[in-house]
Amino acid sequence: MQFDAGLTGDAAALARGHAAVLTRLPATVHAFILVELHKWGTLFSAEQRYQRALLDHLTDLPQPELVRATAAIARIEAEAGCDRIARGNPARFQDEAQALLRKRRLLPAWRTAIDELFAMLDPALNARLYPPDAPRRLVVQLYAGDIAVQPDQLWGRFKGAGIRIPLDLAAAPSPDAFRRALFGAHADGAITLLDPSAGSENATPLDRWIIESHQALHDLSGEAGIRGGASPEARGTGGGVIGLSYERLRDYRDQLTRALYRKIETGVDSPQAFAAYARSLTIAPAADALLHADDIVRTFIREVLLTGNGTLFVNNTFVEWAAVQALRRAQPRILVTRYGVRDKLKPFSSLLLFSQPRASDQIPLIEDPVGSFIDVEQLSYYVWLNAEKSAAYRRKTLYLFLAEGIDQMLAVRPDVDRQPAEAPSAATLADVNATIAAWLGVPVRESVGRPIPTIIS
Amino acid sequence: MVDLGALRRRDALRVLAACMVDWWLPRRLQAQGPRRSTRPDRRVIVVTFGGGARYEDTLAPEGWINIPHLAREIVPQGLVYPVARYEGLTGHFNSTGALVTGCRQDVDAYGSEAPLTPTIFELFRKEYALPPEEAWVIATNKSFGLMGGSKLRAYGDPFSANVVLPKQLLIETIKAAVSTDGGPGVEDRQVLAARMMSALDEGYEGFGWKVFESGRGLGAELKSTLAKSLLDYFNDPTVPTSGDELTFFITKEIMNRLAPSLLVVNFWDIDIAHYGAYSLYLEAIKRTDRLVHELWQHVQALPQYRDRTTLLVVPELGRDSDVAGNGFANHRSGDDSCRRVWLVAVGAGVPRGTGTERPIRTADVAPTVAGILGFKMPECEGRPLAELVF
Repeated sequence: MQFDAGLTGDAAALARGHAAVLTRLPATVHAFILVELHKWGTLFSAEQRYQRALLDHLTDLPQPELVRATAAIARIEAEAGCDRIARGNPARFQDEAQALLRKRRLLPAWRTAIDELFAMLDPALNARLYPPDAPRRLVVQLYAGDIAVQPDQLWGRFKGAGIRIPLDLAAAPSPDAFRRALFGAHADGAITLLDPSAGSENATPLDRWIIESHQALHDLSGEAGIRGGASPEARGTGGGVIGLSYERLRDYRDQLTRALYRKIETGVDSPQAFAAYARSLTIAPAADALLHADDIVRTFIREVLLTGNGTLFVNNTFVEWAAVQALRRAQPRILVTRYGVRDKLKPFSSLLLFSQPRASDQIPLIEDPVGSFIDVEQLSYYVWLNAEKSAAYRRKTLYLFLAEGIDQMLAVRPDVDRQPAEAPSAATLADVNATIAAWLGVPVRESVGRPIPTIIS
Repeated sequence: MVDLGALRRRDALRVLAACMVDWWLPRRLQAQGPRRSTRPDRRVIVVTFGGGARYEDTLAPEGWINIPHLAREIVPQGLVYPVARYEGLTGHFNSTGALVTGCRQDVDAYGSEAPLTPTIFELFRKEYALPPEEAWVIATNKSFGLMGGSKLRAYGDPFSANVVLPKQLLIETIKAAVSTDGGPGVEDRQVLAARMMSALDEGYEGFGWKVFESGRGLGAELKSTLAKSLLDYFNDPTVPTSGDELTFFITKEIMNRLAPSLLVVNFWDIDIAHYGAYSLYLEAIKRTDRLVHELWQHVQALPQYRDRTTLLVVPELGRDSDVAGNGFANHRSGDDSCRRVWLVAVGAGVPRGTGTERPIRTADVAPTVAGILGFKMPECEGRPLAELVF
C-alpha cells in the first residue's frame, strides 16, 4: 500500500518529480518527508528550499550509496515490524511507527540511525544551500533599560568571545533615544535597519524580524511605517518587518490559555492527545497584534506558543524560543531581539484569598528586574549558540549585544577570531548604526556615524 | 451551605478542614496491619534533589553558590560521590524508577505504568512482613502515583509503599470545600477553585498531565489527618510558596507521626526550568538545598531517627548542556549533562568528611538501601555503595 499524502500544488509536483527516490527510502523517512511537504503552504521559503535540496540530493545519490546510508534505519524498521503498519496517511503512519518503535524499545536506536543519516547528508545540503558568498547576516540582542543589569557580569556566558566596545551615550540619554540612535531613526521617521525597502531589491519582510517581550521596537517600526506613508492595511499585510511582541499578543495568549484549560477541565488522556488538541486549535492572533500578518507567520506564532515550554507564561522565554525557531526555520537576514523585565511568579499561597476572594483582592503582579537579568543572560547566549549551529549563520553573521543605558556593547564575529591589539575607542550609537549598515551593505542616508573599524575590518 | 466569601481566612480554613473530613471518610478504608517488632533498627531517607539539576549548577565548584547547605554543612559530615550517572530514559518517572528499583525502567514517561521490576518498598515490606506505614513515597511530581510498587504479580499493591502527593491532596481538599451548591458567594468560590486548580495542578513540562491513582490508597483517617495538617500549615503566616515546601511539610508530619523506616522524598520544583527562566531554576535549586538541610535537621531532632538514619541525596537526572544539548530548560537530549549527577550520603554508616571519585550509578541507590535495611535485593543493574557500612 502506498502513502496517500494528499499533496497539492508545488508540493505535489515536487513529490511526483522525486517519486522514484521516495519509494526507495525507508518508510519512516519517506513518511517524514511527505509530512513536511504536506505543510508546504506554512513552510518558510528557507524550509521549502531545504526540502527541494534534500530530495534533489537523495535523487542524485548513487543507488548503492543510498542503500548503505539508510540501511540501519531499514533494519530497525524491519525488526520493529513497521512493514505491518498500514501506509495511507503518512502522519498517522508516523505516529504509529513511533509508538511501535517505543514499544519494541527500538526508538533510541532508530533516533541514532536518523541522526547518522542526516549527519551524512547535511554537509552536502549545506554546501548547496549556503554557499560562501551568501549575504551577510545580523543578529542584534538588546536588553531593556529597566532590567537590573550588572555591568561587571554582562554577557558573562561568552567568556572572552567577541570584542567589548565602550559606548559614548552622551547623545542617547534615555532608552528611547538609545533605540532611535541604534536603529537609525531619522527626522522623517525612516529607520534604515528596520526598513525592508533599504538594501537588497529582493528583500522581503521575512528577511527582517523583531521579537520582543514588550513593544518598544514595534512602536518604533510602526511609527516609521506611518511617517513613511504606509497605510495600516499595507503595514498589516505586506510591508514592514515581521514583528512578534509578547505584550501585543496578550489577547491571543489569553484565548489560547482559556482554550487549553477548558480542554484540561473536560479531561485529557495523555500529553500526546493534548498536543494533538492544541494543534487542532484554529484561534489566530488579531491582525493589529502583528506588524506583518500572513498565514505562515500566524502558524509560526501559534506553534511557538504551544510547543515552547514557558512561552505562554514568561515573556523572555517567548523571545528566546521564537528567536531560535525563526533562526532555524525562517532564517531571517536580520534578527533583532529585545528582552524586558518579567513578572515574578506568584507564590501559590497568594491565590488562597479565602477571606476576600474578590478580583480586587488579587495580589498584584510584581516585576523581577534582578531575576530577569539572570534569565536574559542565559537566553541571549542560547540564541547565539543556536544561530551558530546553523550553516545559514555560521561565519556569515555579526552579533551585537547591547543593553539600553549601558556604556558598552559586545560584538561577536565568529569568522574573525583575533582580538584587537589595542583596546577599541568609544563609539557612539550612530557609529554602531553605521557599522550595521556597512556590514549589511545597506545604504545609509544622513548618517552621522562611522563604521567601527574593529568590527568591520 | 458555606459562604466562604463572608469568612475570614482562618475561619474559612477551619471550614475547609471540616469539609475535607467529610470528603475523605466515605472513601475506601485501608486495613492497617499490625506492626511487627521485626523492623530493622536503621532508617533510610532517599531524597531526590529532583526535577533535573545539572552538575555544573550544583556540585561543580561553580555551582556551590547554589547549594550552600549541602556544600558547607552536609558534605563535610558525610560522603560525596561527585561522579554518578544515570543511563536510562531521561524523564522523571523512569529515572526515579531506576533509583527505587536498581534497574533501568522503560515505562510510560507520564506515570500511567508502574515500574517493571520490584521496588525497594515491596522488597523491604515483604521480607520483614511490615505494614504499609513503614514505607513511603512523598512526591511533588504528580505523576508519581504508581511509584510505590511494581506491576509484578508477586509484589505490587500488597507490599508497595504509601504514596502521597501533597499538592494533589490539597487540590482534592479544596475541591471538596467548594463543592457546595449555589447561594451567596458561590461564584467567588468557583473563581477561587479555578485559580487554586490552575496554580496547584501545573506540570512544568507542559499541559495534559494526568494523576494516576496510586495502587495503594491511604487510610482515610490518615489521609484526613495529613490534609488537615496541610491546611493548618497554610494558615501559618509563613505560608509555603512551592510544591516542594508542601512535600517537606508532609514528610515531617509522616516522620513525626509514624517514624517509618524507609522514605523516598521527591522534590521536584527544579523542573520549573522548563519555563525557561534560569533565575527561577537557580532559586529552586537553592530552595531544595535548604529543604534538604532542614530535613536533616529534623532527623537530628527526632529520637526515632537520630543516629540511626542514613540520608541519601541524589538528583534523579541532570538537564541538557548549553552546547551539546538543548540547554537548562530541557532534559531530553540524552547528552552527558542530563546523565551526569552526583550523590551525597550522610548519617548512620557513612564515613564523615570523605569523598570518592569512583564513578557510581543512580541504580546503585536501591541495593544500597537494601544493604542498610538488611533485605535481599534481586539481581539488578546497581551495586551497593561499598564505602557505606551496612
